[in-house]
Amino acid sequence: MDRAQPLAVAAPARRPRLPRIGVISAVGGGLLLILAVSAVFAPLVAPWDPSIATGAPFERPSARHLLGTNDVGQDILSELIWGSRISLTVGVLAALVATSIGTVVGAVSGFFRGPVDAFFMRVVDVVLSLPFLPLMILLAAFLGPSLLTIVLVVGLVVWARPSRIIRSQVLSLAGREYITAARAVGASDTRILVRHIIPGVGALIVVEFVQAAAGAILIESSLSFLGLGDPIQKSWGSVLYYAQARSAFLSGAWLWWVIPPGVAITATVLGFALIAFSLERVVNPRLRQR
Amino acid sequence: MARFFAAKIAQYALVLLVALTLNFLLPRFMPGDPLQYIVGEDIGRLTPAERDAIRVQYGLDRPVVEQFARYVGDLARGDLGWSIGRKAPIGDVLKERLPPTVLLTGAALILSTLIGVALGAFAAWRRGRRSDLGILTGFIFLESMPAFWVGMLLIAIFSVNLRVLPIFGMETPYVRYEGLRRVADIGQHLVLPLATLTIVSISAMFLTARYSMLGVLGEEYITVARAKGLRETWVLFRHALRNALLPVATLFMLRVGFVISGAVVVETVFNWPGVGRMLFDAVLARDYPLLQAGFILTTFAVVAANALVDVVYPFLDPRVRVHG
Repeated sequence: MDRAQPLAVAAPARRPRLPRIGVISAVGGGLLLILAVSAVFAPLVAPWDPSIATGAPFERPSARHLLGTNDVGQDILSELIWGSRISLTVGVLAALVATSIGTVVGAVSGFFRGPVDAFFMRVVDVVLSLPFLPLMILLAAFLGPSLLTIVLVVGLVVWARPSRIIRSQVLSLAGREYITAARAVGASDTRILVRHIIPGVGALIVVEFVQAAAGAILIESSLSFLGLGDPIQKSWGSVLYYAQARSAFLSGAWLWWVIPPGVAITATVLGFALIAFSLERVVNPRLRQR
Repeated sequence: MARFFAAKIAQYALVLLVALTLNFLLPRFMPGDPLQYIVGEDIGRLTPAERDAIRVQYGLDRPVVEQFARYVGDLARGDLGWSIGRKAPIGDVLKERLPPTVLLTGAALILSTLIGVALGAFAAWRRGRRSDLGILTGFIFLESMPAFWVGMLLIAIFSVNLRVLPIFGMETPYVRYEGLRRVADIGQHLVLPLATLTIVSISAMFLTARYSMLGVLGEEYITVARAKGLRETWVLFRHALRNALLPVATLFMLRVGFVISGAVVVETVFNWPGVGRMLFDAVLARDYPLLQAGFILTTFAVVAANALVDVVYPFLDPRVRVHG
């Protein structure tokens, strides 16, 4: 990093004004905390049961229904609070599936190299070359709309990128001296993988997981918006699907029926993205320069 | 060089093979009668004799290997099957749906590249300053928004409240414009979907352009150019940007797949009569053959874009030609 600084550009040696990593992660963590609390305590926080009609259809916001009601008279605010459970659960589970597959494939390929590596990396290339949304729509349509379908479909498509990143880290770890030392004292492949390699990439796995969660929540919202979500357990994307189907944005209802679910999705994805951004810089301090 | 291309061709062949196999296996190995994925809900109205007749017609009574050969053969001849929802050959449906999508995604790809490169180069030049960080933060926000939601907001603001742009579709219904009037009409309908798709596609371009420009600005020949006393704009545009554009050019072609995926939700919101909206309608109608055709078509588009990168890249970057 001892490159000559461009003269005219950086002449006054100003420090980059990037907010402190602590601030960024606090904002991200704060956003996620609020959403997680509302998800966990949904039965206590939500003013109404969103599965039954508690008002007239298409009610405007009032003291009784802070965000009005939808086309069948269900309370929109309660739908969103209960929806946070679905969106967060599906996103986190899908990210868990993706990161687990990615970790196993990445660790095994990077550690054993040779034909195993060549095979898995071909698979990764293929998965990355397939158009992901049409593929997920196809799979979800055949598997039938359910939350499990979405978790599996998103997980099965998203794992490829983390696996490639984890592999390259494992490749560099596997050449280190302490691995050679472990081998010299007679540790088995499995032991080296489980005791030394996986912990060595642990921090990176966490970063990949958080990043995958951000992506998974965004993808889940798209699939639900396209009508592939569970019609009984509505996520934020499903709420927007119904808002779109009933043309909520053609009336004043867009203010309370379209904006809030989108803000919730954006806040969640942003929360995960900010945490991933700061974790990445803690794990790899070189990134802070950029 | 020849080995490089052979490996690439093998990889693309593999991608297509996987997509074809997946498409072939899905209806045959999902629970239930494969017939329901060919005729849809009509299956309840068919007599057992009619079902058997359709099975024979589609070769479902033949060995799996023979079925697969037949499936690939049909595709190669352009026979994509029969759409349940549209009651028409899928080839005809696609022919009608392809031009609107090419128009929308092509325009979005070009526009997002131009804006992304301009902002990226600017941000790199102002590296670490307030404007650089401001733009960066803005893109982190943009990346977190669902594309369809951005579209819904734009409709609510510009079409419903300000009433300056049309809401749905590609042309004004019931009116038949000719010539320039028609172009203007389509252009008006294009503004919002194009804006949406561009907004959600810029950030990848921006990040690549900014990063690549940062690298180039650190090179010694840029320092030399400045030391010679060249004007800053000349250094930026003539010396730096030209070389910083290589990764952008690659990304431009690789983004085709992503833009198509984005087009699915954007076309759905705006009722744009393209392949993306077709996929949404196919989901609603449980039109499995049409979904499968859409998947194959987009896979072909992505593979073609990747292949184009491989062919064009040596012309853009002479270093590859020497080392290749």
